Amino acid sequence: MHSTRYIYTFTVAMTVVVALVLAGLFTFLKPIHKANEAIFNKKAVLSSFMGTKANDLSDEEVVTAFADVKQYVLNYEGKPLSNDEVKDLRNYKEKDGKAEDLDLSKEKKKDDEDRLFPLYIKEVEGKQVYITAVRGNGLWDEIWGYIALAEDLNTIVGTSFDHKAETPGLGAEIKDNPTFPNSFKGKQIFNSEGEFVSVLVKKGGADKSDKHAVDAISGATVTCDGVTNMLESGLQYYMPYFETLKKDQLGLNK
Amino acid sequence: MAETAVVEKEPLFGKKERKLLTDPLGDNNPITIQVLGICSALAVTTLFFKALVMSVAVVFVCAFANLFTSLLRNYIPKQVRMIVQLVIIATLVTIVELVLKALDYTVYKDLSVFIGLIITNCIVMGRLEAFALANKPWRSFLDGLGNGLGYGLILLIVAFLREIFGKGTLFAGSPAEIKIIGASIPSEGIIYKINTAAESGIGTWFSWYANNNLMVLPASAMFVIGVLIWIQRSWRKELVDIS
Amino acid sequence: METFNLFLKAAFIENMVLAYFLGMCSYLAVSKTIKTAFGLGLAVIFVLGITMPINWVINEYLLSDTGVFGTDLTFLRFILFIAVIASMVQLVEMAIEKFSPALYNSLGIFLPLITVNCAILGGSLFMVSREYNFGDSVVFGLGSGFGWFLAIIAIAAIREKIRYSNVPPALRGLGMAFIITGLMGLAFMSLMGIDLTKPM
Repeated sequence: MHSTRYIYTFTVAMTVVVALVLAGLFTFLKPIHKANEAIFNKKAVLSSFMGTKANDLSDEEVVTAFADVKQYVLNYEGKPLSNDEVKDLRNYKEKDGKAEDLDLSKEKKKDDEDRLFPLYIKEVEGKQVYITAVRGNGLWDEIWGYIALAEDLNTIVGTSFDHKAETPGLGAEIKDNPTFPNSFKGKQIFNSEGEFVSVLVKKGGADKSDKHAVDAISGATVTCDGVTNMLESGLQYYMPYFETLKKDQLGLNK
Repeated sequence: MAETAVVEKEPLFGKKERKLLTDPLGDNNPITIQVLGICSALAVTTLFFKALVMSVAVVFVCAFANLFTSLLRNYIPKQVRMIVQLVIIATLVTIVELVLKALDYTVYKDLSVFIGLIITNCIVMGRLEAFALANKPWRSFLDGLGNGLGYGLILLIVAFLREIFGKGTLFAGSPAEIKIIGASIPSEGIIYKINTAAESGIGTWFSWYANNNLMVLPASAMFVIGVLIWIQRSWRKELVDIS
Repeated sequence: METFNLFLKAAFIENMVLAYFLGMCSYLAVSKTIKTAFGLGLAVIFVLGITMPINWVINEYLLSDTGVFGTDLTFLRFILFIAVIASMVQLVEMAIEKFSPALYNSLGIFLPLITVNCAILGGSLFMVSREYNFGDSVVFGLGSGFGWFLAIIAIAAIREKIRYSNVPPALRGLGMAFIITGLMGLAFMSLMGIDLTKPM
């Protein structure tokens, strides 16, 4: 039998040793973790228009592919903010306040008027691609994605989705099954009258000629409804910015 | 490890030691016989690669937790035994988590919660209580290694079956992804579930095969393990549960 | 109403055992008779209900970068959570032993098992990732404990009955328990996606 004092000494000594070892490792690996996280997020953005090919890129290739991406942070009125404004608003100390630095999960919980929205613009084969970020709720937890729009701000070039905890084989297919994000290619978010209609994920299959609907994944109704809602509300936030952008484009054409 | 061992008075890798390593692979398997560590076995076996990473993590934690507990076995006060063991396990698991996060962020994202749950993987705790507290370090290490491998073996078998029949691929999620069965290219308009996990694959067999989505659902792991137990016990009659 | 919904959700729709397959080890090992299953189930409700709010406080005020120490200490999360769980289990054990020896005798052996029940740690980790507030964490703890209780009672009852059935010898006991749990899990999938906030 050990004395009470021995037990205390042992416990304290053990705690200190363990805490020191872990703290050391944590500090040592933190830069690598951060770099990995950044690459991971960049890959998600790139895969919106590159599809699964983005997964095969090496870390360096991701950085090069991302080098000429223009990043904007928009507020609720669709006004682009400078990096410093973002840093002040969000109290970032270590981060730069670029679009990729935003914590989108936290942004989603804020009131609409306070939210900030990232926008990426990348030139692909001589044409601008506008990449928007959307976020919503699936069956178990959050789902999110990047929607790449073509220069007309109407046609979808590609999408990528991810989720926190959807059911493998059902809801998780939005990410695991490349057919789903690919099916959005060529769909349009405005109807012929120019009204915003978003893209519907349709249970039971969508008509092929339908420009505003894609097939749902069978057995994953809630997740698919989540995607529909996410697209509708998420893209809506970018409308004010798109309006100004379209006016500018018209102005330039004249 | 065994090859580099130097022979001392007690043989480092004698019959007893070999038994420690091989027993948990079959007749005393932690999953199918001892019923330990089931939870994580179910969640990570949808993909073979995920199961492989998980197995390596468990082997590491199990072997080293046994080693450290055995080294400290004469110093650990009995009253706080459980907490000390858990702290050792939790430390090792945190190390695994931090290292994995640095090595392969994608896999880390996929596995995150389940890496944490290795702490409550009863195999680790069970071996510490049953073996490491009463045995010398080297043997404890082997025992941990054996049990970790026994767990990993079942995990890999289950994951192999689930991935092949559920997705038609192997090693999906890693650079070595290959397509094994089912149509190689999903033709347009086919329902999503059919053969899409790997669009680019080398030769495939049974192109008529449609992926069985049941195998991807968590419940199927229960069926697969149940059938494995059935096979194992039909083969080794003495393991049959009489009650 | 919202609290009640969370309780129902934790107990049925997101059942720890049948939807997430957590806490399997003791679930399979201690479900041979209803009596023992009942005892373990009660203990799990109790421990989940206590540890969840304690871990919430620890996570919020000690570990997060807005807490007492002002730095990100999340790498200590596992250790502190499991230490809390282990010490709570030990405390509960001592308290029951002192105040109700009869209950202790029927429960006693199962209490230490709860420490390594993944459902307990899993619950705390879910609580962190879903960002529950204090009240929610209590309700979620009790709800998921209740769900675990229900699941183990259900399988114990089935296993008691199936003892008289003509199951192939090699499949008897454990093998059959796995397959039954799989079937129960499939049945529980039908509850998935029910949104309690919306009228039916």
